[in-house]
Amino acid sequence: MKYEMVAGFETHIELATNTKIFCSCTTEFGGESNTHCCPICIGLPGTLPKINRQAVKYAVMAGLATNCEIANISKMDRKNYCYPDLPKAYQISQYDKPICEHGYVELSSGKKIRLTRIHIEEDAGKLIHKRGDTYVDYNRGGVPLIEIVSEPDIRSVEEAKEYVEKLQQVMRYIGISDCKMQEGSMRCDVNISVRPVGSEEYGTRTEIKNMNSITFIGKAMEYEFARQVDLIESGGRVEQETLRYDDVTNTTSSMRGKEDAHDYRYFRDPDLVTIHVTDDEIDELRAKIPELPAVKKQRYVSELGLNEKDAQNISKYRKIAEFFEEAIIGVKTPKTVANFIIGQIFRRLETEADKEEFATAITAQQLNELVKLIDAGKVKNNLEKSTLEKMLYTGKSVNDFISESDMAGRDDAALTELWQRAVENNPNAIADYKNGKQKAIKAVVGFIMKESRGRADAAAAEAKILQLIK
Amino acid sequence: MVSHEDVLGIARLCKLYIADDELDSMTKVMDDIIRFADTINNASEEGAEFDNINNLSNAFREDEVVPSYDREEILKNANDVDEGHFLVRKRV
Repeated sequence: MKYEMVAGFETHIELATNTKIFCSCTTEFGGESNTHCCPICIGLPGTLPKINRQAVKYAVMAGLATNCEIANISKMDRKNYCYPDLPKAYQISQYDKPICEHGYVELSSGKKIRLTRIHIEEDAGKLIHKRGDTYVDYNRGGVPLIEIVSEPDIRSVEEAKEYVEKLQQVMRYIGISDCKMQEGSMRCDVNISVRPVGSEEYGTRTEIKNMNSITFIGKAMEYEFARQVDLIESGGRVEQETLRYDDVTNTTSSMRGKEDAHDYRYFRDPDLVTIHVTDDEIDELRAKIPELPAVKKQRYVSELGLNEKDAQNISKYRKIAEFFEEAIIGVKTPKTVANFIIGQIFRRLETEADKEEFATAITAQQLNELVKLIDAGKVKNNLEKSTLEKMLYTGKSVNDFISESDMAGRDDAALTELWQRAVENNPNAIADYKNGKQKAIKAVVGFIMKESRGRADAAAAEAKILQLIK
Repeated sequence: MVSHEDVLGIARLCKLYIADDELDSMTKVMDDIIRFADTINNASEEGAEFDNINNLSNAFREDEVVPSYDREEILKNANDVDEGHFLVRKRV
């Protein structure tokens, strides 16, 4: 029998606020253990939380960028569970009135992965298990998170990866999170089940917790899919349980079964008042959402004539897209700009973080100047790339490299002298040419190219010599 | 009606131990409590709105960093401390 994968995601994203969600401690990553803490975020009795305005705004923006409806009224609830990463023995989260609902993320195939909800909550502290004890660091405790819950609409590892990448890209574009999976500012729980192809019913699902790499998400899902299919094929039953993925052995193992299923006893947090977001405030935030990558990509293809792949590469990172859009102002061929960025500038950016930051030696303005000169025919074909290389190497502008003699179509003294010299120094080749040996002229052009260290325009030089020896 | 299993389940969540000879009486007590709480279901929901009893909303804090406490202060009340961390018995 053939089986299909059914998966849904719960994605936690740390918001890029300066302070924690309920107190004014910094959210900075790292730092000595328990140095970003105060009585509120270590849950001392008698303290009162007060919600960070910016966290609410960011959550609304996340909803707007993923086509959600924004609730005018929402509230915070307590999710009770007893574990040392939560000093209060409850996490402040949202239960029945989340801030955003009913959104979707559109994949490149046009398929929409529906989002059930996005809610605001606080992050837990970090536990380090060593020497038989648990060491607790509450620096991360109370950092604002949004949890984005999808419907079980994902049917393959490819869709899962694209979904996570799209979320990451959009959240970075709107500037609400750096979404660094390796630092834990974006983490996914994957709910996965299998069913015979054609079946409408869902199978029993398992949940793989805390995935922090797109590659591992793919591997874990492949493993879990195969494990569940094998189990069913061999007459067994999938147990509903929570799994952890081990990236060394590439296997999943049980963290806790249904036996221990948590009863969170949600109830409204009486310390926190209702969150009321007006339509005007929502519109204000909507105005802050930049053009999103999918729309940009489409526009690059339809209006600027880029191919799909280039448009995809340029629109993927906000800073690169902004650089591109500045560099094409007034140029005839946006495609040339895209080629330079992808061919030569990308090559210098090794990591994802480099691309995200897009720290290049030259400004968009400088690339713009170069391409305008090329458009005007003032930089010869064979020099375009090397000129940009020099610019990237030194950070200098095009005019610092393109000397008068480099520019095609100019008839200045230096060039005239060079042509003359070429004729004088190659009498044999010229004689051969005049005797009907067409190819001999190439030797004279070769002389010019050598003398100019490759900077001369070969075609123009040949034409000029023919004119001179007539 | 509260069952023995319900009581044992709640006890497990609360990390309480209930002896076999206590189970019947505990189940009865729990059932009485639930029945009492259930009387709220008899209240009419007509005209009732979203529970915002104190009619307050939007008590926000601006996103400005205030220096955190010294680590010594933070760890002062902990039972056990090591290497700048709270120390608790390992549990999975």
